[in-house]
This record gives sequence, structure tokens and C-alpha cells, in this order.
Amino acid sequence: MTRYLRLIRIFTGATISAQLEYRANFLGAVLASLGEVGVALLGIAVLFGQPGTVSVGGYSFHQALLVVGFFMLTEGFISVFVQPNMSKIAEAVRTGSMDFTLLKPIDAQFNVSTRNLNVLRVTDILIGLGLIFYAASFLTVTLGGVLAAAVMYLSALVIVYCIWLALSTTAFWFVKTQNMSELFNGVFGAGRFPVTAFPVPVRAFLTFVVPIAFITTVPAQALTGGLSTLLALASPLVAAVLFVGSRLFWKKAVGSYTSASS
Amino acid sequence: MTPFLRKFRVLFSTQFALMTEYRAEIVIWMLSGTLSLVMMLVWMGQAAAAPGGQIRGFSASDFASYFLATWFVGQLLVVWVAWELDFEVRQGTLSPKLLRPMDPMWGHYSGHVAEKIVRFPIMLVLVGLFAWLAEARFSLDWRVYAAVLGLVILGFTVRFLWEYSLGLLAFWTESSTSFQEVVWLVYAALGGLFAPLAFYPQWVQDIAVWTPFPYMLGLPASLIAGKATLEQAGQGMLVLLGWLAVFVLVRVWVWRVGLRKYGAVGA
Repeated sequence: MTRYLRLIRIFTGATISAQLEYRANFLGAVLASLGEVGVALLGIAVLFGQPGTVSVGGYSFHQALLVVGFFMLTEGFISVFVQPNMSKIAEAVRTGSMDFTLLKPIDAQFNVSTRNLNVLRVTDILIGLGLIFYAASFLTVTLGGVLAAAVMYLSALVIVYCIWLALSTTAFWFVKTQNMSELFNGVFGAGRFPVTAFPVPVRAFLTFVVPIAFITTVPAQALTGGLSTLLALASPLVAAVLFVGSRLFWKKAVGSYTSASS
Repeated sequence: MTPFLRKFRVLFSTQFALMTEYRAEIVIWMLSGTLSLVMMLVWMGQAAAAPGGQIRGFSASDFASYFLATWFVGQLLVVWVAWELDFEVRQGTLSPKLLRPMDPMWGHYSGHVAEKIVRFPIMLVLVGLFAWLAEARFSLDWRVYAAVLGLVILGFTVRFLWEYSLGLLAFWTESSTSFQEVVWLVYAALGGLFAPLAFYPQWVQDIAVWTPFPYMLGLPASLIAGKATLEQAGQGMLVLLGWLAVFVLVRVWVWRVGLRKYGAVGA
């Protein structure tokens, strides 16, 4: 275990020093973050800007803002920690450099999941946290709520990681998978809004088929104390099932890997 | 046939062959642009919950019609040339294209048009399916669709030219695609991707009428949804023609200044 922690430290140091070579890209990353938060805030602002509208899907303005905060935080988590790693799996399978990863005396899934970071997009995480603190300052938040939200959000991060891992693992058979992440982003865009704002069939789809509801809506509900016990139990359960499932899927994929050109 | 048209035809047929190869990707690119569909679902939920089932005269079915039309028009206005230019300038693959007896812009333009033709039949199927699911109703007047076609061709060309100008900023900066994303946000907001323009505060509408955005996206969508008149379409075309002239000049100017700045990789 300490060996893996030490490896994470080495990986982080290496990837940060590589990125600091391209400092000029920081401006671009900031613009991209602003664009991202702009889309989310405009959507909410126009909805609440209509005369007589006090709630969207039963959410007040500040509660909806909390959902936007969790959305941005998750965007940041994906951009900084998940995507830089997962996008390289397809490339490694295509060129055959996955061989070197599999030969190393550490767990291959650990290696492909922690090797890279995109520190430039840390602005997304800061914006997300800022929005959450701002929105929470207008709401009544208890200590229990904060703890519950932390557990729910931890499950959410596991869910996000597992979905990305599973989608990227398909690269072992299909080779071209960047488009998979495009599709994920398309569906994840629905996470800008509380899931209760959608018509009932779509709500069911976003909860049970693609668990977007657990990623942004459930943590926001937990923070304001409006979370049902059923969802509170379901979120860690979904995370655990997805974690085991994606791990088995990864194992199976690696087992069928035959390197490039063979 | 003039030499220019002959060259353009050859470019177009190669690009068309290329794009039909990418048909599976095109479906996925289409499905990843979901913002107007997400907004549609949220607004439908809002209308259903509102007293009287309407918001500013829009029922759930009206919202479905408007946003599906926005999705349809938005798909026809998709432009990715800024990414291609960014790549070509940084990797130096622009250099051989400069030797050709034709502005490289035409290659990109024909590629975009070819992709739209491949995209169109798939779009019709998807819009039909979504319209059936969401109970949307579209205009049945053929003149509306003639006007929409005119607005979309003008709007697409205007957008292509401004994206091309932004893409050429790659001569100076490595962040040109990020500027592109910020401009996209303005386009999406004032174009009416989040809500019909009438839903915005008055001062935003007053600014928006001077920009090309509402006429290329919101106006054709409103026409299809039966919420705008043909007179408005005529006015919109005139505004777009004005902006077309502006962006033609901007593009030529940025191209001339940028080329002087361009030093190919390895040169």
C-alpha cells in the first residue's frame, strides 16, 4: 500500500513538471473553464429569470446552484484526474505500448488510472467548490448534511471513474474510443440540472440506466438534508457494484489483449 | 465550367467520399451535441408544472417543437474548422496546401458541406423519432422551409468564416480553440439554444438583434416551430448578408496578416 502511495507521488511530480513546460496553455484552460461554467449558469439563469418561476423541479435557485457546483466539481475531477489517463488507453492499445504497462510489477489498472494529471484544468475544481460554498451560504446546512454529502460525493466520484474506465476499456476490442467519451459528455450534460427537473421517464433513465442523478443531484440533496434513505443507501451500492464490475471487465479485456500487429 | 468550379467539384467529391467513410462517427458527433435536447426536456417539465401548462405562451409541445428545431438547425451549423486550422498551423501541414493554386479555405468549406449532406438523412430520422416521442408539431408550409434553407446557408457561411478567422489566430497563440469555445457560448446564448430569445431580459434582446446569432439559429427554429413569420425571415436574411460581408473581409485580412507571421515547422 505504501508502495502505491509513493508511486502516486512520483507520478504526480513527473506529470506536473511535464505540464509546467506548457504554461501558456493555462490561458486556454481558464477560458475553457469559464465557457463550461457559463453554459451551466446561463441555463439556470434563464429558467429562473421567467416571471413567477420560484423553483425548477422543486429546487430553489440556490439549491439548483448547488447542483451546478457539483457539476463543475465533477467536470474538474474528470478533466484533471480521469480523462488524461483514460484517453491514453486507446492510444496504448493501438500502438502496442500497452505491453510495457502490463509488464510492470504493479497493478496495470492502477498504473493506467494514476499516471497522468491535467493540472491546468484545476480551475474547474476551484469554480465548482466556490459555487458550492456560495450556494450553501444561502441554505441551512447541518454538520450531518455535510458528512452525508461527502459520502455521497465520494460514491459519485467512484461512479464517474468506473463509467470512464469501462468505456475506455472497450478500446481493447474496438480500438477507436475517443467517441465514447464524447457520448458520455453528451449525456452527462443533463447533470447541470436537478434530475427532478426532467419528465418522469427521463428521470428514471438518468437514475437507473446512466446513473447521472447520483453524481450531481444526490450530493446536493444530501447537503440540504432532503435526501431519501433509499437513495442514500443506493448511491454507495451503485458505486461498489460498478467498481467490481469495471474491475472484472478490465481483467477480461487485459486477458484478451494480444498486442499490436499480432 | 470555370477552372475554379472544376477544382471545387473535385475537392467536394473527395471530401464527400471521406465523410461517408466516417458515417458512424458522424452519428456519435451528432448525439454528443445534446444541450438543446437537455434544455428541451427541462422546459417541458417546467411548462407541465406551471399553472395553465404554459410559460410565456409556450406549452410543453411548443417547447418540444422549438428545441427540436433548434437541434436540427444547430446540427446544420456545426463548424469544426478552428480545430483543423489549429492542428495544421502547429504541425506545419498547412505548408503543402499553400502551394496549391487555390485558397486552402475552399478545401475546408467543401469538407463541411459534404459532411452536412451525409448528416442530413440521419438527422431527419432522429428528428422524426424525437418529435414522435415528445409530441412536437412542425410547420407544414413549404415556403417556411425554403426560408429556413436560405437562412441556414447564410448562417452556416457566416459561422464558417468567423470560426475560420478564430482558427487562424493559431498563427499567434496556441489557445485559439479556447477562444472558439467562448465565442460558441455567446452564439449558443444569443442564438436561443437555452431558451427562445423572447425569454431573455429586454436589454439582452436589444443587444442580440445587432448580432448575427438570433437570425442563424433561433429564427429558423422559430419558423419551423410556427412561431415566426416570413417577413421576419426576410429581415433576418438581410442582416446575415451584412454580417457575411463583414466576415469575408475579416477572414481575408486575418489570413493575409497571419501568413506573414507563419513560419513552418522546421523552416
